[in-house]
Amino acid sequence: MAEQPGELVQGTLEMLVLKTLALEPMHGYGIALRIEQVSDGVFRVNPGSLLPALSRMERAGRIRGEWRATENNRRAKYYALTEQGRKALETDREQWGRQTAAISRILEAGSR
Amino acid sequence: MSILRNLAGGVRALFRRDGRNAEIQDELRSFVEASAAEKMRRGMSREDAERAARAEVGSAEMVREKVWAAGWESAADSLGQDIRYGVRTLSRSPGFCLVAVTTLALGIGANTAMFSLLDQIVLSLLPVKQPERLVKVTIAGNNYGDSYGADRISWPMFEDLRDRNQVFSGMFCSFMTTVTVGYGDRAAQTEAELVSGSYFPVLGVDAALGRTIAPDDDKIPDSQPVVVLSYNFWRNYFHADRTIVGRTIAINGYKMTVIGVAQPGYDGIELGNPAQMFIPIMMKTEMTPQSDGLKDRRRRLAWVKTFGRLKPGISAEQAQTSLQPLLHSILQMEAQQPDFRWFNNEDRRQFLRDRIQILPGSDNWLSDNMREPLWILIALTGAVLLLACANLANLMLARATARTREIAVRLAIGAARGRIVRQLMVETLLLSAAGALLGLALAFLADRVLLSMYLPANEAAQYVVSPIPDWRVLAFAFGALLVTSLAFGLMPALRGSRTEIAPSLQERSGSGSATAVPLRRLFVVVQVALSLLLLVGAGLFVRTLRNLRNLGPGFPTDHLIEFNLDPALSGYSFDQTKSFFERMTVDLRAMPGVSSVGLSTMPLLKGYSWQHAIVGEKSAGELKAEQPVLSMVSPDYFSTLGIPILEGREFTDQDRGPLKVAIINQSFAKRYLPAGDPIGRRFGLVTDTVLPDIVVIGVIPDTKYRDLRETPPPQADFPYFQDNQQRFVNVYVRTQGDPRQLLDQVQKRMSQFDPHVPIVGLETMDDRIGWSLKTERLIASLSAVFGGLAALLAVIGLYGVMAYVVTRRTREIGIRIALGAMRGSIVGLIMREVLILIGAGLAAGAVLDLLMSQWVRSQLFGLSPNDPATFAAAAACLALAAGVAGLAPALRASRVDPVTAIREE
Repeated sequence: MAEQPGELVQGTLEMLVLKTLALEPMHGYGIALRIEQVSDGVFRVNPGSLLPALSRMERAGRIRGEWRATENNRRAKYYALTEQGRKALETDREQWGRQTAAISRILEAGSR
Repeated sequence: MSILRNLAGGVRALFRRDGRNAEIQDELRSFVEASAAEKMRRGMSREDAERAARAEVGSAEMVREKVWAAGWESAADSLGQDIRYGVRTLSRSPGFCLVAVTTLALGIGANTAMFSLLDQIVLSLLPVKQPERLVKVTIAGNNYGDSYGADRISWPMFEDLRDRNQVFSGMFCSFMTTVTVGYGDRAAQTEAELVSGSYFPVLGVDAALGRTIAPDDDKIPDSQPVVVLSYNFWRNYFHADRTIVGRTIAINGYKMTVIGVAQPGYDGIELGNPAQMFIPIMMKTEMTPQSDGLKDRRRRLAWVKTFGRLKPGISAEQAQTSLQPLLHSILQMEAQQPDFRWFNNEDRRQFLRDRIQILPGSDNWLSDNMREPLWILIALTGAVLLLACANLANLMLARATARTREIAVRLAIGAARGRIVRQLMVETLLLSAAGALLGLALAFLADRVLLSMYLPANEAAQYVVSPIPDWRVLAFAFGALLVTSLAFGLMPALRGSRTEIAPSLQERSGSGSATAVPLRRLFVVVQVALSLLLLVGAGLFVRTLRNLRNLGPGFPTDHLIEFNLDPALSGYSFDQTKSFFERMTVDLRAMPGVSSVGLSTMPLLKGYSWQHAIVGEKSAGELKAEQPVLSMVSPDYFSTLGIPILEGREFTDQDRGPLKVAIINQSFAKRYLPAGDPIGRRFGLVTDTVLPDIVVIGVIPDTKYRDLRETPPPQADFPYFQDNQQRFVNVYVRTQGDPRQLLDQVQKRMSQFDPHVPIVGLETMDDRIGWSLKTERLIASLSAVFGGLAALLAVIGLYGVMAYVVTRRTREIGIRIALGAMRGSIVGLIMREVLILIGAGLAAGAVLDLLMSQWVRSQLFGLSPNDPATFAAAAACLALAAGVAGLAPALRASRVDPVTAIREE
């Protein structure tokens, strides 16, 4: 687990973004805000890692970006999950479940 | 799918680089705005909210860089930068580029040209299924009969091996012969391959049209008048007429049905000697009139080339081990046959020791002849390329030294050392790529010239060897490019990247790191050594050529014209052939400018031989290679060739009765009829009997028969008209004036004499001998060129290093002169260094030479690979040239003006 609050566990950013976008299309700041809120402020995502990740995922075809007007009439790039992204989220989730289960088994075995 | 999208996205981003950057910036701005809006919603003032949002994001430029770097295109982009920068830097020193690219183009071009020939002639395999599983089956050891060459066996032997072996999934045999083809009103002489029924199935060669020859075509002699055309012949001679299948064409006057066309690209079993058509071997009697190896059950005539396809899992060695007992039992059976009844115990013992030999199936005479020369030439060109690399490394080192400041500045403002190495390597690769492209073009031209040098124009066209590079050659050139780039670019690049920043920036321009000099001296020593090696090689090959040319075949070859013809292929019977030749001889002799005309059945100095076991006053069996060579000749043959009769007499028109007579050479007499005058004594050919029934009537001096390299073999000649088996003849015409001027007239005369009998190979004997030395000439001329090139490169390298040394020591030399040193002693100072370099190079070269020279022994003639005169001459030439190159900087050093030299610092 992350030692300092605000830092993400390595390699989970993409999964969290996918999960966030599974609810509805969002722009970059919206994604960062949602992750921060849902995690009760434990995770804070800065644009220096979020925007490259979005670019990478868009290139890989997991999300699709589209420039749209925001609620306060500004322009922002909204990202939506693609079918491929949905599948990727499933896989990531299963894998994550297996990994955390395994890690907790190890930790429990060690504590006895 | 996603890879494609990724690629497309990257390419789009590269081309719309500005657009993509703007988009990233927009997104970043919207992020900041949204963040600020959120903070304001929580109650911050607009100003505070915006400041906090910007602080969160940090350096906008860095985020942009990071997003940009997330795609692969950024790596390509920075490579693009390196290439652009490299091109700019290089274009600032066009002289350097010109030298570097030309050197590389020569080096890579020469190597590629040689490799292209090697690839196509020596390394190529037959275009059949699994060519590496195909082997040639031959029998080594003593031969007691007639043979068409060391790799032939008799037809019954082939049948036995085919039916009784355990190691081959199939066997076939073939025999190449010349036939006359008639179709419509046209007639031409072409090469036909007579093949067993198993030939096409075992090779795995299919028909492009119709069908190929099948095992059913291989049952009954004379019963299968069918023919399969080669794809090339079908296209060239029948203009790709698809209706040809099922039609009849006349071959040697016999009606034969065309049953198919072989697959494109397959030109018979002998690469380099293409077959135009394939005919069942059952038609041997019709295709080779008056010679009937097929029905000859006596197992004496070795004439078919035999091949087998190894069963899966069987190696060539296993096949050899397994076939040996089979051969032994066949030989034991043969030794019991009535025609071997004259065997004494020693003969029998020798005969039974014959061995099976398994050879690669794709070998052929062209590859056998060219293998060693081409490997030697590849080694030479490789050495030249190495020299070129050493020179370029020298140049690059000098450049890197001159650029120390530039590199130090780039390091100081934060460039990564890895990036600097990459940058320098990119420059190197740019140079090599230009060199390699130019080299490929050069190789293409060079191969054309080489092929035309090596083969007469009319033959070169026939050869499958093409100068157009295929992917293997391209891969080779690319490999050469990479290796050379690494060889000459990497070390200077690494050295450049190790530049110490502070001292380099303080130093004045022009003086560089001193550490490069010993390395550059080492390069020069290596260059001198290698070029000495090449020069010695060139000297040896050139002198070999001269030795061979001066030696000659043992008779005067000027004023001689030769050609050959075969009236039997145009439908003449033997009796008609006889009178044809008699009338032709009279006709040619009547031509103005002709002094005499001679005929023989065997062509001289073309590598052919007719050999036979002899029973003299000594034993009968011999190695095939040591059997005497034979020929049948006309009465005026010896006087036409200018070979004197030492004892006895020449043949006359009367020598055609039942009494068999022969003219022998001195070696023959010494070996078979030793002690005393051979005239009137007898010997015999080993056939059904071993009767010595041939009377010697004359003795001639030893002359060469197969080629100029050989020691004249024992030879016996018989009168042409005594025997009624022969057909093909070579005609020799001695002229009074320049023989070249008579060539056209002879051609015209012969076509008037009988337009249906084509004459082949019309040329002067001197030209023929020139061609027979083509391999030697090729090696001699190329090694001379490469040797000169190598010496030039070494001399340039030495000059470069010494000029550099003198520039660096200008100040020291100035001080020496100011302190009263004589100019002469300054020259001595520099020249001492030059001589040490040359001396070290020559010494290293001598050691190399001793180690490597044995390797070329087989290509030399009349001198030893360690010939001291050649070595001394090469060393002297090189030392002189290098000395002169070193003298120039030495003289410049002696003219240094002490005042300017010291003030400069």
